Formats: sequence, C-alpha cells, structure tokens
Amino acid sequence: MQIRIAGIGGQGVILAGIILGEAAAIEGLNVVQTQDYGSQSRGGHSIADLIISKEPIYDLMVTKADVLVALAQLGYDSTKDSLRKDGILIIDTDLVKPDREYVGAPFTRLAEEKTGLALTVNMVALGYLVAKTNVVKKESVEMAIKRRAPKGTEEINLKAFRIGYEEGLK
Amino acid sequence: MRYPFPVGDADFIQGDEAIARAAILAGCRFYAGYPITPASEIFEAMSLYMPLVDGVSIQMEDEIGSIAAVIGASWAGAKAMTATSGPGFSLMMENLGYAIMTETPLVLVNVQRSGPSTGQPTLAAQGDLMQAIWGTHGDHSLIVLTPATVQEAFDMTIRAFNLAEKYRTPVILLTDAEVGHMRERVYAPHPDELELVYRKLPANEEEAKYPFGDIHGDLVPPMPIFGKGYRTYVTGLTHDERGRPKTVDAEIHERLVKRIVGKIENNKKDIIDYETYGLEDADIAIVSFGIVARSAMRAVKELRKEGINAGLLKLNVLWPFDFELIEKIAENVERIYVAEMNLGQLYHMVKEGANGKAKVELISRIGGEVHTPGEIVERIKRDLR
Amino acid sequence: MYLKPSYEIRDKYLRKDMLPTIFCPGCGIGAVLQYTLRAIDDLGLNQDEIVWVSGIGCSSRVPGYVNFDGLHTTHGRALAFATGIKMANPDLKVIAFMGDGDAAAIGGNHLIHAIRRNLDVTVILVNNFTYGMTGGQVAPTTPKGLRGTTAPYGSFENPFDIAELAVAAGANYVARWSVFNYLQGINSIKKALQKRGFTLVEFLSPCPISFGRRNKLKTAPELIKWYQKITVPISKAKDMPPEELEGKVVIGEFVDRDRPSLVEEYEAYKRRAKKIMGWEE
Repeated sequence: MQIRIAGIGGQGVILAGIILGEAAAIEGLNVVQTQDYGSQSRGGHSIADLIISKEPIYDLMVTKADVLVALAQLGYDSTKDSLRKDGILIIDTDLVKPDREYVGAPFTRLAEEKTGLALTVNMVALGYLVAKTNVVKKESVEMAIKRRAPKGTEEINLKAFRIGYEEGLK
Repeated sequence: MRYPFPVGDADFIQGDEAIARAAILAGCRFYAGYPITPASEIFEAMSLYMPLVDGVSIQMEDEIGSIAAVIGASWAGAKAMTATSGPGFSLMMENLGYAIMTETPLVLVNVQRSGPSTGQPTLAAQGDLMQAIWGTHGDHSLIVLTPATVQEAFDMTIRAFNLAEKYRTPVILLTDAEVGHMRERVYAPHPDELELVYRKLPANEEEAKYPFGDIHGDLVPPMPIFGKGYRTYVTGLTHDERGRPKTVDAEIHERLVKRIVGKIENNKKDIIDYETYGLEDADIAIVSFGIVARSAMRAVKELRKEGINAGLLKLNVLWPFDFELIEKIAENVERIYVAEMNLGQLYHMVKEGANGKAKVELISRIGGEVHTPGEIVERIKRDLR
Repeated sequence: MYLKPSYEIRDKYLRKDMLPTIFCPGCGIGAVLQYTLRAIDDLGLNQDEIVWVSGIGCSSRVPGYVNFDGLHTTHGRALAFATGIKMANPDLKVIAFMGDGDAAAIGGNHLIHAIRRNLDVTVILVNNFTYGMTGGQVAPTTPKGLRGTTAPYGSFENPFDIAELAVAAGANYVARWSVFNYLQGINSIKKALQKRGFTLVEFLSPCPISFGRRNKLKTAPELIKWYQKITVPISKAKDMPPEELEGKVVIGEFVDRDRPSLVEEYEAYKRRAKKIMGWEE
C-alpha cells in the first residue's frame, strides 16, 4: 500500500510518517519511508511517503498513492496528481478545498479543541487514517508513538491519535 | 558491553543511522567528520553514541582533516571511519591516496549527492563512482561497496570494516542521499552473532621490522601499530619493505605498488559480491547498483510479466570489478542495459567487460530522482520494437 | 646543564641505516633535532610512548631519522593526523616536527584549530623563512622585502608571526628562539614536553642554500649573525615602542599556562554524556 501524507513544514508530517512506518515495522511488515521537503524549516511543502507491504519492496517513491492525507492546501496541490483514481483522499476539511471526492474532519481544530495543542494535528490525522484504512493495528501505532514521540509528549500524542481514530470510525 | 541502540532486534531507521550503528557494532571507536548534507546524520549519530561506548567522535576543521585524523587513529590502533558527500569526498582524495600507500585500514562513507561542485545537496546521485575508484592520483586499488537498502547499508558497513582490516586498506561505502535518508526496517544483530575481523599484528619483533613486506606470502603485511615498541616509520613516499623511503629506485616502487594493487585484485573472489535475478534464461540483462537496482528489479519483474526475458545483475561491490562475469553474461544475452544515476560511468566498465559479445546500452538519469521502474521498462520495450 | 656528547645522543636515538640526512651544509634542522632529542633524553621519556608526526618539507623528514614510531604524512596535515593519534590513544605523547610553510600556509587552518582545541601535542617548528626543499620560494613567514624565487623582487606580503598566532589561538605554551639559543631552546622543549595541551617551540633556523643565498646571507654564520641583529628578547621588547620593533623578531617564552587540554576535555565530555543518558551517576 502506498500512503502519502502532505502538508506544510511544522505540521509534523514527517513524524507522522515515521510513526506509521515504525508501526508497520513492529508488525513485521516491510516498509519504506521517504520524505520530501522544501529547504526552509517552516512553511514550505512537506511530504512523507510510505510503502507498506508483506512482499519485499523495490519501489522508493510513491508513484500511485492508495491513500493521500492532505493537511494543507499547498500539500494537496503539489501531490493530488499522485493519488490513484480509486484512492482515498483524507483532508483537514477546514484547510483543504479539494476538487474530488474525499473523507476527513477538521483535524487541526479537533487537535486544538480536544488536546489544547494544534501541534498534535499530525497524530489526529494519523488516527483517522488508521481507522479508515486498517493498514496497521491501532496498538502498533500506540507502541510506535511511545517510542518515537519526543520525551514528555507521549501522552498528549496518544490522546490526539485516539481522538482521530474515534473520528475515523464514525 | 552496553549499546545505546537496540541490538539483536529490528528497528525502523534511516540509512545514515544504520551506517553509524553498524560501525559501532563493527568495533569502530574513532570517527572524525565535517558537516555536509546528506551525510551529516551519520556524524550526528556517531556524536550521540561514541562518548557512551568510550569512543571518539570529533568535528574537524574540514574533510581533509577528517580523513587525516582517521588515518592517525587507525595507526594508533583504532577502527576508524569518516563520512562525507561529493564536495568533501573531493577534498579527501589526497589523503585517501596516503591511506592506500601506507596501507591504513579505514572506512570512508560517501553519501552521494548530485554534482559537479555544490550541485543538488539534498538529492541522490551516483556520479562519484569513477572518483571512488580512480579519484586519487597514481596507480592504486581499493575496495568500493554499494548498498541498495537500509539493511544493506547496515550489513555492508560491517563488511567494509572487515575487509579494511583483512586487507589493510581503505574501503569506500558508496551510497547516496536516497538510501541515506530513507527509513526501513533493519535488523541489528547482537555483537555475539557478528563475525568481526581485526587487523593482523606482528607476531614477533622480526615481523614488526617489515611493516610493508609480504612476509606471509598473502601480500598483506601485519600492521605494527604505534605505541607497542615497534618503532614503525610510516611514509607516503615510495618505501621499501621496512618502510624506509626509496624514492628513485624503480624496482622498489614497482614491487610496492604492484603488491598494494595485487592484494585487492588477487583476492577478487573473496571481495566481489553480487546478486542476480532471472539471468539464467535472459535475453536482456540489466546491470545496476545501489538505489537504482531496486527500480531495475521491479522493471525486470514487469518485463517478465509481459513475456520479455529480462534478468538483473545487481552489483554490491563496484571495485574490484568482475569483468569476466560481465563477459559471461554478454555471451548469453542479446543486450545489456546499464541503469545508473549519472551520464554513464559503470557503463564503461560493463562495456569493457562485455568485450563486444553483446550490445551495451545506457539508461541514464540525472537531476536527483531515481529511475522509475516504468521508465526502464519503456526504454527496453521501445528498443525491442 | 650537563650536555652529553653528541654521539651518545646520535647512537641512542637515530636510525643509522637512514643516515646521512638530506639536509644541506649549514642547515639548522639537525640542530633543532638535536635539541629535541636532548630534551627527551634529559626528561628520561620512554621512547616507545612517543610518536613523531610530520607533513612535507625538509624538516618533515625528521621522523624517518629518529628511532621512534613516526608518521610522515601529507603537506600541511600533520596536526590533523596527530589529532587522530592522540585521541585514539591518549597514552601516546605526540611530537609534530614542522616547517613554517607546512604549518602556517597549507596547514594554517589545521594549526589554528589544533591550538583552539588545545590538542595535546608538542610542535617543534623549524622556521627558515622559505620553502627549502622545493628551491626557495617565499613562505608566509618571509620578512617583507626579502627575496624568494616566487617573489624575486622582494616579498610584497605581510608575514605571519607564528608564535603570536599560537598565543592568540590559545596554546598552553609558546616559545621562540633562534638555533643559536641552544640552552634556552632545550629548556623550552623540555617544558613543552611536560605540559598537557598545545605546546609550540619555534626556532629561527638557517637555510643558507635556498634562503640565505638570495638575500646576501650566504652562509650559516652570516644567518646567525643576522638573527642576532633582528631578534629582541621578550623582556626587552615589552618596553620598546612599536616603531622600534618594526622588522624585529621577538624571542623568548611567550606564554606558559594550563588551560584544560583536549584529552582532558573529552574525558569530561564522555562522563557528562553518560550522566545525561543515565548510564552513570
């Protein structure tokens, strides 16, 4: 499965990709995670690509995404062509105006209202993605968050992930 | 021994990180470097880990100093490594030659980016292949390994140290920004599971007198490291078996350089490593290495699905080079394609190996992005039409 | 100070099969080498715990002549190699035997950074104001107006004062003498060898063939006399106005201090790392 998470620098897109990849690795799946970002640390486009498979993976970049998660218009615009026709588009409904069928929720708003920290938007979106696709188990992601989230932020990130997950089950 | 990262377990890490961890497991205890994209993550990981395992990681004033410090550390008895990318690699060329001439074991990682000059610092390339093999001046030989996956980056780093110690030579791990920065699942063995090689030391005082002599008949002299009372003199000048400068004697020069080249070239069988897929019945062979070999593998599978008998030769070692293997493949296929991220470097070696027995074509790509499998498939299908 | 006969020093420390040296008649490198060996001998240092490192040039051939571990490296890089040796095995004492062009031109960056780090190394710097081995080109130390093959009408550049540079960059011990000041020279080397951190003893050293010949100083005695004329003891220089010091070379002990050395700093750094990571109390 090819998954692409696109946003702008500072939204934690790469970390979401790493945590999803780690969760897949925990389950013993093969996974390749690559990234692409503008040279500025904040505000440029930021893309995390994941290929997850039971088979050995030769591909490197996402060429035909099965899932595209767009957290910002800039991210959506620069990646929308890579999403398969029958692929799933997941968006932050407050921030992205798509020109095709989609699912999603106001991830940033949810993050801010329910965790008090808009920065956790990446985990909210990741929870939603996992609930919608079942690409990995919820528990694996939770374990990956405990390993990879910056020290002291594990709990708030887990909370954000679960909020997104519940939203995705709706 | 305690390690600052998981051992005997799998982890989800970047290629650069895998190289650093593998180096430490291989026994590397000295690292000197200079910041450069996309190799800095190796240095950063070394800086995090080395003080914890009682090793040294030090930031030098430039890449010339980095490799110099590594050579010094190696003569002081440490397994030592440095890592860089194109611009720094160019700066290291003189001292790489010094390491070859003085038969100093070390590992030099080049995480390739696009050149020439500053080029595309964050994007992958394979344009330093010729430089890795032939970059330093004068006649010489050395070992060049090249990984295609993060696991291979890990495994080949350990192998690089083993080969460096075994043959008393610098070994280059030639990787690229794509492998360096991508994350994959990597299994890091417990050190007890690893077979590690340590340089041969002189067995007695008599052996120590000949730090550059073929005293065991295997072309690799024992290394009388500093501080053991051997009183070794090491020089980049042409030297005799005892290490004494002999700068105008043709015979001594020829004997020294031919032994240094010979210890690599005569041990091709031990050093060379490659993988093949579908070559047994292939009409078309693709030769590739590093990151591009992944796309080539997918391309071969797709071609075979379409009824085209394609096969892959994925090179894990770029030097010494198996010209005979290429000739054998050339005898059995109609055409050989070389897919690489440069304007044709491996291509020339394959062409020499093929020896006119098959047509050799280049599938080149530069600019930072790896060939897509589709691109390779299309090119081959177009030629077949 | 009791001075042993030279042949005792020679027999004890030189590799006989490497002699004669490549040094020209009147060259000062042999004298500086002798001072260094006398200092080692006087201190009773263990020959097997000392590594000599050098770059390229006449003085860089010295590690080949002495019966110690030695690394004769590439042009200008001796101190970078020395960094690796010392840090990989801090039990070794490292002596870098360098020339002025090697240390201050092509190796200038390594020099200032090795000093900045306070690398534990003793630099014996043979300053002959020229590139002797390659035939007398001007060096970064050549006094303005004096001639070399690459400034045949007299050097138009400002020279480096290596000793002052070393003081400014943070060395623990810096002294400069001419080869004529042999007792002071030996004593300074002895001091330098006993200290931690970066120590440097610079010697004005005659090169009559490549330097003197082009500057009306054709023999070593003429060069020594010239040194006497241009050198000023540091105690005297302190009270001299800058105009009077123009064109003079100050000699003496420039600094003697005990800032923490690189080896000491790195040992503390390792302990700090283990503490921060919770590996050690």
